[in-house]
Amino acid sequence: MSTAVISRRGMELLLYLAPVTLFYVVFLILPYLMVLRLSFFQFSPMHLYIPEFTWANYAAVLTDRFYLGLLARTIGLGLLVTLVSLMLGYPLALKISRAGPAMKSVLLAITLSPLLINLVVRTYAWLVLLGDTGVVNHWLQALGVTAGPLPLGGNMFSVIVGLVHICLPLMALSLVGVLERIDPALFDAAESLGASRGRVLRRIVLPLSMPGIGAGSLLVFSFTISAFVTPALLGGNRVTTISTLIYEKFTFSSNWPVGATLVVFLLVINIAVVILHGRLFRED
Amino acid sequence: MLDKAIDLAGWLVVLFILGPLVIIVGGSFTETPYVAFPPTGFTLRWYAQLMHRRDFLNSFVFSLALAALCSLVAMLLGVAAVIGLHRHGFTGRQVFRAFLMSPLVLPTIVTGVALLQFYYLIDMDAPVTGLLVGHVLITIPYVLRTVGAGLVGLDPAIEEAANSLGAGGLRTLLRVTLPAIAPSIMAAVIFVFITSFDQATVSIFLSGPDMMPLPVRIYSYIDFAVDPMVAAVSTLLILFAFGIIALLQKLLGLERAMGVG
Repeated sequence: MSTAVISRRGMELLLYLAPVTLFYVVFLILPYLMVLRLSFFQFSPMHLYIPEFTWANYAAVLTDRFYLGLLARTIGLGLLVTLVSLMLGYPLALKISRAGPAMKSVLLAITLSPLLINLVVRTYAWLVLLGDTGVVNHWLQALGVTAGPLPLGGNMFSVIVGLVHICLPLMALSLVGVLERIDPALFDAAESLGASRGRVLRRIVLPLSMPGIGAGSLLVFSFTISAFVTPALLGGNRVTTISTLIYEKFTFSSNWPVGATLVVFLLVINIAVVILHGRLFRED
Repeated sequence: MLDKAIDLAGWLVVLFILGPLVIIVGGSFTETPYVAFPPTGFTLRWYAQLMHRRDFLNSFVFSLALAALCSLVAMLLGVAAVIGLHRHGFTGRQVFRAFLMSPLVLPTIVTGVALLQFYYLIDMDAPVTGLLVGHVLITIPYVLRTVGAGLVGLDPAIEEAANSLGAGGLRTLLRVTLPAIAPSIMAAVIFVFITSFDQATVSIFLSGPDMMPLPVRIYSYIDFAVDPMVAAVSTLLILFAFGIIALLQKLLGLERAMGVG
């Protein structure tokens, strides 16, 4: 009797979980393992690759100045975008957490709305704004601030601006989450003991919002280093990141083994971030 | 003083978030052959031009169909998984759930590349299926999260009551459990639909010139022209997004839908 019950439950479980498991094994695990395998194969201009084991691709990426520069530039971009998103996201999150209910809804809707607007559209907006003949340069010259167009587009600057615009909602949401949980009684206590507003911010609000700062930063960092559409469009073929080079290796130059090796590096960095995230903020 | 500064900074950031979108919407009505803000004059000719672009219209219809199909498949696989995980405790359940959530943390570009070379190496020549698989893979985590949250909020006593009154597993599922979590199922459908409809990165790797979802169409068009026609299609997509926000707000309340508060 009891074995029959167990096996019936087992059957039911299998029915629920087998389809999704099969789907993941075939279309997630297998493709990822094949990329990993590809990174150990030799490049061949004639046959895409020769299936012979080699460390050469890893050696190339880890010793070639070009690839090292690429890794450093991508990580640097990630850090910079994270920092700017934090600096812009913090005042916004403070404003949201202090607002009354009606204002809070409006501000939250404004903050969240970009998340639902197409990534390509959001990137296109900055393409229009930051070009040599774009809206920003037009206004700068019309107002007499600059004589000629500033080089705002097609470089690292426009890539950073575009990525910050996309990452801000993620950062602000992480921050609002922690700021809302701070007990307002703490402020009253601190103020009645004579602390200035600045001191309250520095000594109470900032330390208590560290989990949000950490979570938001890791989220923005891993999004930025893996972003493809924004650097590809706003970098104007002049800004190369790991992602844009992966695309190039798998399409135009057809060097799949090196492309696969770059994929492994991108994955390793991302997994490190996820592990760090898990260590810092255990989900229960 | 400090509060004023923070308040002002907050407003400037709001301006930074909304500014580009406002400029695109405004610029789509300009009479100039480039996007100007404020727009010079007022014309609908960029919208008219858009309506005559077969490629854009085809891509729009294709994206809608792809998103609908993706919602169906992701919901079937995802809801079954959520219920399986909810009803049955087994060793390694948390690990298994994390595994199912993994496409959310894996870079989309890597998933795109992995599928691209996988299809090539197994000689799969089915572009629509290939694209659909990519979309389903990255949307299943949204189903798990949204529907999972609905199930956690469900009082287990309700299912037990159905069971003790003689309803079998399937009957309880169809008549009790699923109706009880209908709002989160609706929310999940909307999330999956919009995520698929908006997906660009995976699609760039997996779509060919004949079957191009709308975001990829815009992406490849932008590469050689930044005329106000793109502003027109962008405006329509922004309206579409706000429609979705309104729908979510109505169904769930925005804060709950987005997992805040």
